[in-house]
Amino acid sequence: MTGRAPEHVREELTALLDGALDAARRSEVEAHLRACPECGAERERLGAAISALRALPAPPPPSPAFEARFFARLAREGDRPRGALARLAALRWRVVAPLAGAAAAAAMAAVAVVRHRADEAGLARNLELLDQLELVASLGDVDAADVEVVAHLRDLEEGRP
Amino acid sequence: MAPDPDAVLLLAFQRGDQAAFRALFEKYARPMVAFCHRFVRDAARAEELAQDVFLKVHHSAAGWRPEASVRAWIYRIASNHCLNELRRGEHSARQARGPGGEPLDPDALPGPAATPEESAAGAALTRAVQALLESLPEKQRLAFVLCRFEGLSYQEIARSLDTSVSAVKSLIHRATVRAAEALSPLAGPLAGKEALP
Repeated sequence: MTGRAPEHVREELTALLDGALDAARRSEVEAHLRACPECGAERERLGAAISALRALPAPPPPSPAFEARFFARLAREGDRPRGALARLAALRWRVVAPLAGAAAAAAMAAVAVVRHRADEAGLARNLELLDQLELVASLGDVDAADVEVVAHLRDLEEGRP
Repeated sequence: MAPDPDAVLLLAFQRGDQAAFRALFEKYARPMVAFCHRFVRDAARAEELAQDVFLKVHHSAAGWRPEASVRAWIYRIASNHCLNELRRGEHSARQARGPGGEPLDPDALPGPAATPEESAAGAALTRAVQALLESLPEKQRLAFVLCRFEGLSYQEIARSLDTSVSAVKSLIHRATVRAAEALSPLAGPLAGKEALP
């Protein structure tokens, strides 16, 4: 047995099996495995699971019309350079305004609480409602596509696709 | 080093070459539908999600930079999209149902060349893996699918999930330990499947 704890080496076994360890670390782990039957057994168990997963039947292929349907949809929607941003602009009054109203109402309620109870934590909790997708989804006249746009607000802020 | 052919295509598309985008679509269409299917288990919905992903690829292509792996970038878009789908949970209500009310699982249907034993083993494996995937935390599930079924490297997965390689190593290890636990009851039938060429 080497000085390295078996649990520590176990954490490396999946990466070892996936060929994801650098040469130096791989040598250390393999040296440990030669002296540690427990970790050796764990490597066999994980290796068997990885092999079994390779026998999983493949998901069904796309339907024959998939490509044609996609390019037809692209022709309809593809002229919008930044679809989500454009939708977001269009949503300004339908979603953002109600949200702002909800936030204002929440803030006023919270301010009342602050005045009477000095409970600043309540204000923070209410304002956090703006981040809750469920609140947006609960607005009766917001459709699923609009909810998706709101779900991507963080991505848009960060410039992610 | 030879240039990444995907990067060549995406750069051409950035210059306006629509055929280059179509070539990327044709390369990734099947794996992308398969990837989405791992999350929604419904063929029609998986195709819808894959279409959404390709639309985002099309609209976001101008922002891609050559230093980024195209494959990791596309799977990053797909991962974010499937994660949102999981969080919405719409797929669970939309899953196709068989005549007995059970989910209609195309993977569980026997292939034309499968023996009854192989079909039974494949169906049992499919059910076990689906239950496993649904039990995993979101990021573990994404990392596990990208690694085990899409063949991405740990580095590509880290870029796709916007995290570190060491975090990916941990995510995949924990999911693989869970897989070993989940699949151990199938050890007998699976041993037969593994022996297949």
